[in-house]
Amino acid sequence: MAQRRVDQRLLAKPARTTSAGAILALVAVALLLAGCGGGSSDDSATSGSSTATSGSTGPGASDSSDTSTTAASSGDTAGADASAPPAKGSAGGGSAAGDEQPHSGAKQGPSVPQPKGEPEPGITPEQRREATVASMTLQSPSSRPSSAGPQALPAEYTCDGKNTSPALSWQGVPPGTAELALLVMNIQPVEGRLFFDWAVGGLSPELEEIEAGKLPKGAVVGRNSFGKTGYGICPAGSGETYMFTVFALPKKLSPSQGFDPVAFRRAVLEASGNAGLLALSYLR
Amino acid sequence: MQKPRMRGVVKVKAIGAALAVLAALCAMFATTASAAPAWKFNGTALEGTETILGGAEKSGLTMWGFTTTCDNFLYEVDIKNEAGTGKGNITSLPLFGCYTNSTCTVEAIEAESFPWPSELKTVSSSNYLVVKGVDVWVLYGGWFCPLWGVWAHVTGTAGGLIDNTTESATFSSASFKATGTSLKSLGETVEWNGVFPTEAFEWHRGESISVS
Repeated sequence: MAQRRVDQRLLAKPARTTSAGAILALVAVALLLAGCGGGSSDDSATSGSSTATSGSTGPGASDSSDTSTTAASSGDTAGADASAPPAKGSAGGGSAAGDEQPHSGAKQGPSVPQPKGEPEPGITPEQRREATVASMTLQSPSSRPSSAGPQALPAEYTCDGKNTSPALSWQGVPPGTAELALLVMNIQPVEGRLFFDWAVGGLSPELEEIEAGKLPKGAVVGRNSFGKTGYGICPAGSGETYMFTVFALPKKLSPSQGFDPVAFRRAVLEASGNAGLLALSYLR
Repeated sequence: MQKPRMRGVVKVKAIGAALAVLAALCAMFATTASAAPAWKFNGTALEGTETILGGAEKSGLTMWGFTTTCDNFLYEVDIKNEAGTGKGNITSLPLFGCYTNSTCTVEAIEAESFPWPSELKTVSSSNYLVVKGVDVWVLYGGWFCPLWGVWAHVTGTAGGLIDNTTESATFSSASFKATGTSLKSLGETVEWNGVFPTEAFEWHRGESISVS
């Protein structure tokens, strides 16, 4: 629409003589009116806050009316120098909200909350060395998708069904793995203790899956927290989330049938460098 | 006498037609450009670069059935407008006071592989900040934690809804869905929730920040 008006105006009254300067001026006007002044035309009229602020205060104007900025900024004098850029805000250095530098302008929204304390430590080289890296992928063909949160464990794999183990498959076993171990634990402790639903050792590193309700030859099963040697998932309440973890062990732990899962877990964590995780939830 | 005059009229008409074509092309270009959201301060498009900080109180990553929350979750972004579209690079992501709603403790948490490229995107007339290359490692601890000693990796792309009124970006499952983004940890979808008020920290410190 705008360019049509420009076109009509230009064509309706052709200049009898046109100098290069006049042509240039016309081109400039046409470009400006057509919106070639910049890649991002100002459509801030649709943005309530920016329109309001740009209309009332510009850069360098007093912020005395701004009550929503930080206490430090609103409390400072409006004539403060905002022409020089302050030192680059270091998030970890506490230069967020409450900064001592006076603000000029018209910030309307809430300020960035001032962090308390020190930033969380990064991972130390020692932790990096000792940690079990969750680098493997663990999946369960038996699980069902969930609209939110972990995938769902069907009832047949709990005490509400046959209480047989679900099918599992994994990828990413690192080279040099001597043995695989599998632990299934409740995410939340039960009566103040870690709850083991399944503990399996002695799995071949070549293994990439376990069928539902079956274990391969050579697998050694530990005692679960129900006191039985085997698999068992049976939530006390309306439901629970379970963490399935497959560990790649660089050395064989050679556990015995009915082993203690607590001691086994400790040994696994000390030995393993890589693991795959899968959370499954069961809701009654 | 008449010949030069006619030539002048033709010349002017030609110039006018050329201008009309040019103006039409410019208008088309301007329309296209205005569809791409840009960073603005006090309603004026950002020229050059600026550093902004987004910071939330209580922002959490939910994965594997529990949520890892940080009391203060910050991100620092170097922003600019490129061909009319807001771009940026997240250069740091310091996290303060992190814990979980499970028996797991957060032994260490670290964001890596900076900068994370980001850009503004409009979806259904709402503007979003889309962050690519998210790369966060978390080391959980605690004897009662099923993830004790496990170093978990969160990667992917995150889209946060920008609200000009509150000058904030909100990351939620809705904003991820709208932008077609997702964070994953070993194939598991990770939810990131948090409202991040945003401020400029260099030339536009204290000015109203908006996206349109």
